[in-house]
Amino acid sequence: METVLTVEGLEKSFKNTKVLHNITFDVHKGEIMAILGPNGAGKSTTIRNIMGIMYPDDGCVTFHNHQGNEIPRHKIGYLPEERGLYKNVKVMDIILYFAELKDYPLKKAKERAIQYLEKFGLEGKENVSVEELSKGMGQKVQFIGSIIHEPELLILDEPFSGLDPVSQDVFKQEIKELANNGTAILLSSHQMNLVEEMCDRLFMINRGQKVIYDSLKDVKSKYANFKCTILGDNSVQQLESINQVSRVEQDGYSSVLYLEQGIELPSWLHTLPNDLDIVELKVDRISLHEIFIDVALGRSIAEEVGGTYA
Amino acid sequence: MRNSIKVGKWEIKRNIKNKSFIISLFLTPLIFLFFATVPNLLSGNDYDTTTTVYVNDQLGTFEMIEPIIEENNMMNWDLTETNEELPAVQERFEEEPNSAYIQIDEHTAENGVVTYVKGDDVSPQFSNQLRIIEQPLKQNQLQSANLTEEQLELISTPILFEAADGNDESKASQEETATAEIGMVDPFESGIPAAFAGLVLFSIVITGMMIFQSASQEKKDKVAEIILSSVTPGELMQGKILGYFVLGLIQVGVWMLFAIPIAIYMLDDVPVLQYLFVPETFILVIIAILGYLLFAALFVGLGATLEDASSGSNFQGMVMMLPFIPVVIIGPVLSDPSGIVAQVGSYIPFTSPTILILRLAILDEWPWIEILIGIAILLVSIWLFMKLAGKIFKVGILIYGKNATPQEIWKWLRA
Repeated sequence: METVLTVEGLEKSFKNTKVLHNITFDVHKGEIMAILGPNGAGKSTTIRNIMGIMYPDDGCVTFHNHQGNEIPRHKIGYLPEERGLYKNVKVMDIILYFAELKDYPLKKAKERAIQYLEKFGLEGKENVSVEELSKGMGQKVQFIGSIIHEPELLILDEPFSGLDPVSQDVFKQEIKELANNGTAILLSSHQMNLVEEMCDRLFMINRGQKVIYDSLKDVKSKYANFKCTILGDNSVQQLESINQVSRVEQDGYSSVLYLEQGIELPSWLHTLPNDLDIVELKVDRISLHEIFIDVALGRSIAEEVGGTYA
Repeated sequence: MRNSIKVGKWEIKRNIKNKSFIISLFLTPLIFLFFATVPNLLSGNDYDTTTTVYVNDQLGTFEMIEPIIEENNMMNWDLTETNEELPAVQERFEEEPNSAYIQIDEHTAENGVVTYVKGDDVSPQFSNQLRIIEQPLKQNQLQSANLTEEQLELISTPILFEAADGNDESKASQEETATAEIGMVDPFESGIPAAFAGLVLFSIVITGMMIFQSASQEKKDKVAEIILSSVTPGELMQGKILGYFVLGLIQVGVWMLFAIPIAIYMLDDVPVLQYLFVPETFILVIIAILGYLLFAALFVGLGATLEDASSGSNFQGMVMMLPFIPVVIIGPVLSDPSGIVAQVGSYIPFTSPTILILRLAILDEWPWIEILIGIAILLVSIWLFMKLAGKIFKVGILIYGKNATPQEIWKWLRA
């Protein structure tokens, strides 16, 4: 797949604190690439360095063979995390201003704006003043503003924050559709469940460092092993002695058994000892969410598991 | 530059479409008009109503008095010559309460006393206004005293006070000639271009403050980052300065639409337009524009450090006050437009636009060297302030949720 954006060895320090360590990844045409990480991990800083709003201390950003100041900014769409709109202007005026800044033909921009307003349930709002919009409507207008010029690369910093579930779905659908039509999409988020459903590849970052960088499928098969939750009166030693159990977490009556990678679930279930006290038993997979929380807390099963299996 | 123009166009467009800008655009001159006219309307019944003044003139001064009254716009007298004596007129006042009677006779010539009677409705200022006929009466008195021409001239020349400077004879003589010419030089000739330039300066200092608002609002609305994904911080800043400059000019244009017809109407015999379109206006306007650029740089940088103007620290408040420093030294400059305060004021960038315009309006001989030095200092300061503002703007505009402290600003400046 054609590579649209390459980020190589990005380093950045604020005062004496290093906030980005050797960040390297790329984004391909027509894919959704997610940067995931807890607050303060360096997601927005990475994105701002890509957008040329900040300059990295080291490393480089390449967009279609262009670097640094030569990057054609009108081919990139950007929705920052801290975003807003001018208050006392009309919706259409501000969308057209964004289009003009990107050198996009105004007539075409107007048509597209009307199409998108309709698509997002804002038909007839083009002549309404921005200050009359609700927060959700404002977010939709900002989103339209970032894609009005048909960018080749769309960078979305926390696109779902502050959205209600209905609007989240609308955005998700639209982002998927844009990717299907060939737009390269880089989005950052801390809402795993949303990202899990839509991204093709992900880059998980914590304290400015790469934790995981892989396709969603591989991440899931590598890290999202099965876990078995048992309610019952059992000792940790007994549970740990069960085959293919890598780790046990016990909280009173409830125990979680983290299973090794690649097990056959039905045959594993047969290996459970007969004297086990089972009131309730549940088997499911470790979700991205859990990996993420562990990363955020610095505990990181991902690292443990990754250490064992990477 | 193309991006700056786009930003500038946007700033113009969104302000022009903004109701509060339009209202203030038209309201400001109306408020000026209001304050210029209403106090007069309230106190000036005598403007509207004509007082009939009967003059019983036995000395033949009526012909001298009549043109003086007619030329004076402040007095609305309808002069009528009469032969009636005082007792006969007294009855008439009951029918015509807004009329007065003046008796000029031998008694006036000998003792310098004019007897008058006025009706109930005549303005209380009438007795003061009467002073206007003092001069022709005095002249009449002197003429009848059989004095020679020389004596007459001596008596009628007022006493002048001249400051002599022992070290600088040329200056003394210069002042002498200036004093001598005072009667001949029309104050409007240099006043009108200066008033125009002052208006330009005033208007653009106001729009300069709007730049501050705009930069601060940009931060508050969090639009900056979206805009900065398309243009550089430098272009955004330049665009704002450019846009508000044009807005300032539009403002001046609209105000002039009000001011010129009013000036032409009020100053009947002054060729307003002829005085306005002179090369001096051009230089004065250049000075005003330089003043704008300086304050625009200052305000755009300042605006980028403040999210909420009302919670700014003392430091930012002090910077906001800079355009008003000239007010402090305006007194000394007016009393001595070539003095040391005026000269120093012309060299300090924050005061020089106002002080230069003020001095050039008063002085007949322009101090070209001082003007050029003042402009040169202004140009260098503008360059410097634009650089510094750029540094502050670049970092400040992207900081959300707090106002920058002076220490932070200092750090950005050194970066």
